[in-house]
Amino acid sequence: MAAVAAAGLVLPACSGAAAGTITTIRLQQNKPEVVEYFNALIKDFESKNPDIRVVQDFNAGNWVPGLIRDSPADVVTNAYSVTVADFTRKGIFADLSDLPAAAMTDPKALELINSFGQYQDSELSALPFSLAAAGVIYNKALFSQHGVDVPTTWSEFLGACTKFQAAGLTPIYGTFKDSWTLGQPYGYASGGTVDLADFFSRMPLTAEDLKSNPDVSFGSDFKIATDKFLKILGFMQKGAGSRSYTDGNAAFAKGGAAMYMQGPWALSELTTINPDLKVGIFALPMSEDPAETKAQVTLDMTFSIVRSTPRLEAAKRFVSYLMDPAVVNAYNNKFSAFSPLKEATVNANPQISGLQPLITSGKYYLNVTNYFPPAITLNNYFQTLALNRNDKAFLTTLDDAWHRVATRNA
Amino acid sequence: MTAPADVRAPALSPNDDTEGKKVTTPAVPARLRAHRKVDPTYYWMIIPVLVLFALFSTVPAVIGGFFSFTNYAGYGDWKMVGLRNFQNIFTDPEILASYAFTFFFAIVATVAVNVVALLLALGLNSRIKWKTGIRGIYFIPMVLSGLIIAYVFNYLFSNTVPTIAESLGITPLATSILANEQWAWAAIVFVTVWQAAPGATIIYLAGLQSISPDVTEAASLDGAGAWRQVRSISLPLIAGYVVINIILGFKGYLGTYEIIVALTGGGPGTATQSVAMRIFSGFAGGDYSYQMANAIIFFIITLIISLLQLQVLRRREVSL
Repeated sequence: MAAVAAAGLVLPACSGAAAGTITTIRLQQNKPEVVEYFNALIKDFESKNPDIRVVQDFNAGNWVPGLIRDSPADVVTNAYSVTVADFTRKGIFADLSDLPAAAMTDPKALELINSFGQYQDSELSALPFSLAAAGVIYNKALFSQHGVDVPTTWSEFLGACTKFQAAGLTPIYGTFKDSWTLGQPYGYASGGTVDLADFFSRMPLTAEDLKSNPDVSFGSDFKIATDKFLKILGFMQKGAGSRSYTDGNAAFAKGGAAMYMQGPWALSELTTINPDLKVGIFALPMSEDPAETKAQVTLDMTFSIVRSTPRLEAAKRFVSYLMDPAVVNAYNNKFSAFSPLKEATVNANPQISGLQPLITSGKYYLNVTNYFPPAITLNNYFQTLALNRNDKAFLTTLDDAWHRVATRNA
Repeated sequence: MTAPADVRAPALSPNDDTEGKKVTTPAVPARLRAHRKVDPTYYWMIIPVLVLFALFSTVPAVIGGFFSFTNYAGYGDWKMVGLRNFQNIFTDPEILASYAFTFFFAIVATVAVNVVALLLALGLNSRIKWKTGIRGIYFIPMVLSGLIIAYVFNYLFSNTVPTIAESLGITPLATSILANEQWAWAAIVFVTVWQAAPGATIIYLAGLQSISPDVTEAASLDGAGAWRQVRSISLPLIAGYVVINIILGFKGYLGTYEIIVALTGGGPGTATQSVAMRIFSGFAGGDYSYQMANAIIFFIITLIISLLQLQVLRRREVSL
């Protein structure tokens, strides 16, 4: 209703005689920090496509109510995870596999999207626009000061930690008062030891699956990951349980620790606190073979078009514009992320360039937390594990919680 | 259960319409019925509120109740699943733990708030210096939002208290109490008392001021000391206010939410998750119908408790 009214107000005001031929589409964009950037993109698109107007809606809370009222936005951006995949499986999104952009995208990135399940087992419901890659953020000055090289194997990593510890320096800064920050180290530990996409495709999703496939479990597949996670936590400072994310940023920026396990979103915070800080990122090696090391990513922004929209053609033109390599590369360079296109330019940001080779060669996996439905309070379980160090109880809790959710999803 | 009270005082049963009518209708004399014409102004006062209440509270509640019998995720297709959600709740250890925590917290907070508030009220009601000023200071927490208070205390518990404890050499307090699974609840109770005590104090002060000075004067002439006066005069005379405070408080603490969110977020681990937090998680988690079933169960439990408390109130001859 509101959108129709708004469109009605806008149209006569701006276009005069050609009012009848202008199509207005709505973009649901949920990242508050890029609203201005998208406004500029929309302006550019509108000047090239005078017959289409785009309205940006940045209130994420409008999405589900829009679906219920049968008036959702035409184009929607999502950080793609199991939650969004639920919309895909219910057939909310249109098939985008025929767009030229689909052929330009790295098949590995499409594979990650499709690993959550496809509508009718064939459709492509989202196009990846931005990959946020995460790794271990390290203080370059402290590394060279203590003569430590960037580790390429698990034992080199343990050696580096021991070396810092012996020098009286905290190897890794822990902030598990904010339980979500534990998703990074656990993500590295599990992504490097388990084929996550394969594991979660075998996990039961419904009561039916549970009956037919009861054998796959966290208890058997995530044991190594959990042990290595606890090893990593052992190198964090005392009292990490009462330190928050902001405490961690402040302490690491001031040289309080050699390494910090956070996503790229922390980088700008760190340089704001200490502009002289020189940091790099490396992917945490989880095995003794450097060639097996992979980077952890999230599908930070993907585009989907709502299947029911009567403005499908206009929406496709807008998405094709956004997926233009120039637009994709400019955005990802600006926001310290990586382009998922085959023809990606190399990211110029020296802070994250350590992950570039892995992304370019398609060696990446999705953060484990993206596979968990929000009904499972995963972060709270991480926190319990971090405080009690009881790996058996943690894995049992995960299995029980997963099975409970599967049982109640018919 | 409520029948005896209704016979004695039918006017006091707003929650029990059918029974009230059964008892009162024949009792209304015919001559009163002839003059039943009520000023329509009263209806104009009631009806808009009634419509708004029904539209924005009753109807959504009934819809939510309906969806608790489905597998609705908040959007998309759904089908009826009967009582499956309810069965699953009773076998979900996390939901059961959240009930245990919520009741434990509500009982401890009710006792703590009332003890503190009563002591404060007795002190503030006595003839001390700067009485008005001190009263004002004690009431400041009431005008602050619980969320803000909790965030401030979050900082104090995580940073200030451990720093002080460490410099004094008190090792048990050197790590944040909020990171301690066994004791995080104590911090939540502390902040709740800090925020809720002034409200209870006001009610106690009103009660204490309603005690005639003659009574206390007579008691002191008889040689009763301060403590004896409190025990034998003040407390019995404000017993009704104690009941009101306990009932209002307990119901409020059962629905506790924002202070926990700001202090621990339900952690550490899952140690401090209240029922309200679990229910709210259903809106974001695609777990809508399941948590609706949880909400219905919680509603029934609170309803039963409220009815029991109302019984106690009637016996105490006080009305809310």
